[in-house]
Amino acid sequence: MSSPVIEVRGADKYFGRFQALDKLDLTVHKGQVAGFLGPNGAGKSTTIRILLGLLRADAGSVRLLGGDPWRDAVALHRRLAYVPGDVTLWPNLTGGQVIDLLGRLRGGIDPDRRKELLARFELDPTRKARTYSKGNRQKVALVAALASDAELLILDEPTSGLDPLMEAVFTECVLEAKSRGRTVLLSSHILSEVEKLCDTVTIIRGGRTVESGTLDELRHLTRSTVRATVEGDPRALESVEGVHDLRVDGDTVTFDVDDTHMNTVMGALVGLGIRGLVSNPPSLEELFMRHYGDEPAALDGDGSTAA
Amino acid sequence: MSTFTGTGALTRFVLRRDRVRLTVWVLALVGTVAATVPALDDMFATDAQRQARAAVMDTPTGIVFGGPGYGLDDYGLGPMVVNELTMSLLIALAVMSVLHVVRHTRAEEESGRAELLRAGVLGAGAQLTAALITVSIVNLVVGGLTALTLIGNGLEGADSVAYGLGLALAGISFGAVAAVCAQTVEHGRGAAGLAFLVVGVSFMARVVGDMAEEGGGALSWLSPFAWVQQTRVFHDLLWWPLALYPALIGVLFALTYALAKRRDLGAGLFAARPGPAGAGALLGNTFALHLHQQRGAILAWTVAVFLFTLAFGSLVSEVEGMLEENPDLVAFLGEAAADVTEGFLGVMSGYVLMAASAYAVVSVTRARAEETSGRAELLLSTAVGRVSWFGGALSVSVLSSALIVVVGGLGLGSSASLVLEDPSWTGTMVGASLAGLPAVLLFAAAAAVLTGVAPRLLPLVWAWLGYSLLVSMFGALVGLDDRLVNLSGFEMLPTLPTEEFEVLPVVLALVAVLVAGVFALAGFRHRDLSTA
Repeated sequence: MSSPVIEVRGADKYFGRFQALDKLDLTVHKGQVAGFLGPNGAGKSTTIRILLGLLRADAGSVRLLGGDPWRDAVALHRRLAYVPGDVTLWPNLTGGQVIDLLGRLRGGIDPDRRKELLARFELDPTRKARTYSKGNRQKVALVAALASDAELLILDEPTSGLDPLMEAVFTECVLEAKSRGRTVLLSSHILSEVEKLCDTVTIIRGGRTVESGTLDELRHLTRSTVRATVEGDPRALESVEGVHDLRVDGDTVTFDVDDTHMNTVMGALVGLGIRGLVSNPPSLEELFMRHYGDEPAALDGDGSTAA
Repeated sequence: MSTFTGTGALTRFVLRRDRVRLTVWVLALVGTVAATVPALDDMFATDAQRQARAAVMDTPTGIVFGGPGYGLDDYGLGPMVVNELTMSLLIALAVMSVLHVVRHTRAEEESGRAELLRAGVLGAGAQLTAALITVSIVNLVVGGLTALTLIGNGLEGADSVAYGLGLALAGISFGAVAAVCAQTVEHGRGAAGLAFLVVGVSFMARVVGDMAEEGGGALSWLSPFAWVQQTRVFHDLLWWPLALYPALIGVLFALTYALAKRRDLGAGLFAARPGPAGAGALLGNTFALHLHQQRGAILAWTVAVFLFTLAFGSLVSEVEGMLEENPDLVAFLGEAAADVTEGFLGVMSGYVLMAASAYAVVSVTRARAEETSGRAELLLSTAVGRVSWFGGALSVSVLSSALIVVVGGLGLGSSASLVLEDPSWTGTMVGASLAGLPAVLLFAAAAAVLTGVAPRLLPLVWAWLGYSLLVSMFGALVGLDDRLVNLSGFEMLPTLPTEEFEVLPVVLALVAVLVAGVFALAGFRHRDLSTA
């Protein structure tokens, strides 16, 4: 594979004495849609601003599109488009003026694409920015970014103010960008969106990368939920390695199983006489909750990267 | 829930939030009084010295910044305080009150913070009322401490109290003006601008009235600037002119609440109109964007400065008239009499530079506001370099400051030319203003360096500007040490047309501005962007 579009290695960032990033790693390859997840304050926006050369990492190496984002900011910015998480616009400019301005400053805008995106996002370009809602301000930034046809899209929680219809439009647009070979870094809290769109996922917490890899890889590391109806006494499963949270209701048993022990557990189940079996892979939400639920101590142990 | 539910809590909140800001204002104002009063007493110790000073206050320049001249015939400490300090104190109180009221009304709505508060158990009029209560408290504190300071210096108690009360009521009146403006204009900056325009016009009305007639003419009585001195404190105390203030304040408060009731939160009196669906050909670079963002302010400042300088310039006819009517004044001024017109215009030109400096600082600090609002982040994520963005902002500030300086000189000079039927004044005054431009740029440069290198220290530039204004107004009066005087940005260059133009200080100032500009841009290039 060619050199990554985004490669952050061991990035530290301090704001005064507060450490925002702690040896953060993030890699995105060309043509990928990369999900970037983390709770509020985990350092997602800080990482993105370092990638944009707006902040400088205190340690570690940061490469973007083969360049140094701090030193080569202007040259690199011609090749990317950014949608901030909290879009503030010039109150006395109209949405259309802002889209044109941002497009020109990036080095040109495709008028047909602009028109098409305005229609798809149902955005009225003649309204002054101060009269726009949060969602509409976000649409302005999205239209400006998507109309630019940049190699790399950096989107910081781009749908947090959009309604479900517009979210669907956004999903389509990202998939189109992907089909044209664009690379996308998508920070988001909306896990269903990430599941739908992203090839790889990086989960950070407290400024550190705690998981990263493809969704399949991440799922492989974790537990599936199994519900089975058996003929024998399901309590026998309690002692089987890899079984967690066993709950018995009559002849039905529900438990979580480490994917690495799936074979052993299935063997034990077969011994009990299976009458019905449902196995669900963990959803991203479960993955996420496992990392951000109330067991932070467990993270450092099994939270190493898989990619 | 009544209209005023929560006013008490909010009043305490405003005082808590602004405890530093308001304390600085109070200390600066009362401190100025406390320092100036004994200094006046020392500086003009003998009767002869005092009467000589009274003669100066009777000149046109003296009237502009002194007042109607009560007590000049027996110029003791009391009349000195009233004639020397009142206008500066009133202007400062007006600035403080307007900024305070707008900050806690329209600016809160604009930021969206008002929405958060109003969603709670809070009456619709609570924020407005809290702003008006707090502005009244601060003005009364300044007035009260001023009265105590005067009494402490051995002045009559009743007159001191009347004076302090007059100052406070005048300040509250300007706060009430700002409250009305905040109801009508959608943006905090616009509301403050409109209120300052009203303040400026009422100052002008008093000047014209006081020039027209000794003791103040009809126009003077239309201005809240006049009523404090119309009480004739330390001369022949009249209480009743003070009653005009509560009447005015009552009308303005009633108007404010009536307007507030008629509109939605965040709305002005006029709804926003749709605009162009795309950017015009010109809006394609950062300079154009900065210019577009500031054009309203540039236009407002330019027009206001031009109108005020036209009006002040035309006062030279009064200057000439006074000299003709007053042989004593000519005798007192001696050879200087020929230069009185020049001196008057020179002082006015100095005020143009002060106004332009304030504008320059405001203009440069807008770049910082763009940065902290997150708008700069959006722009700098495109192919726009830091230097180009900040440099564009600074270029707009420098060019518009220069424009205001030139327009101010043009206003003074052209109206003097018309009145005196001598066209050469136009060139002289434009030249005089331009010679002072480097001083204006020094303030812009200071704001730029702080923005680029140490943005948290940016408020210091206001401290320097405030210090420079105080020194220019009172430095000579209180016999301030030369080294302290020279720290003022306005004292670094000779004042034209009364003084000779000198090349060296101008060149030094311009070099300092350029060096500062380089540091500002380099600093901005190499620091982290402040993000929302």
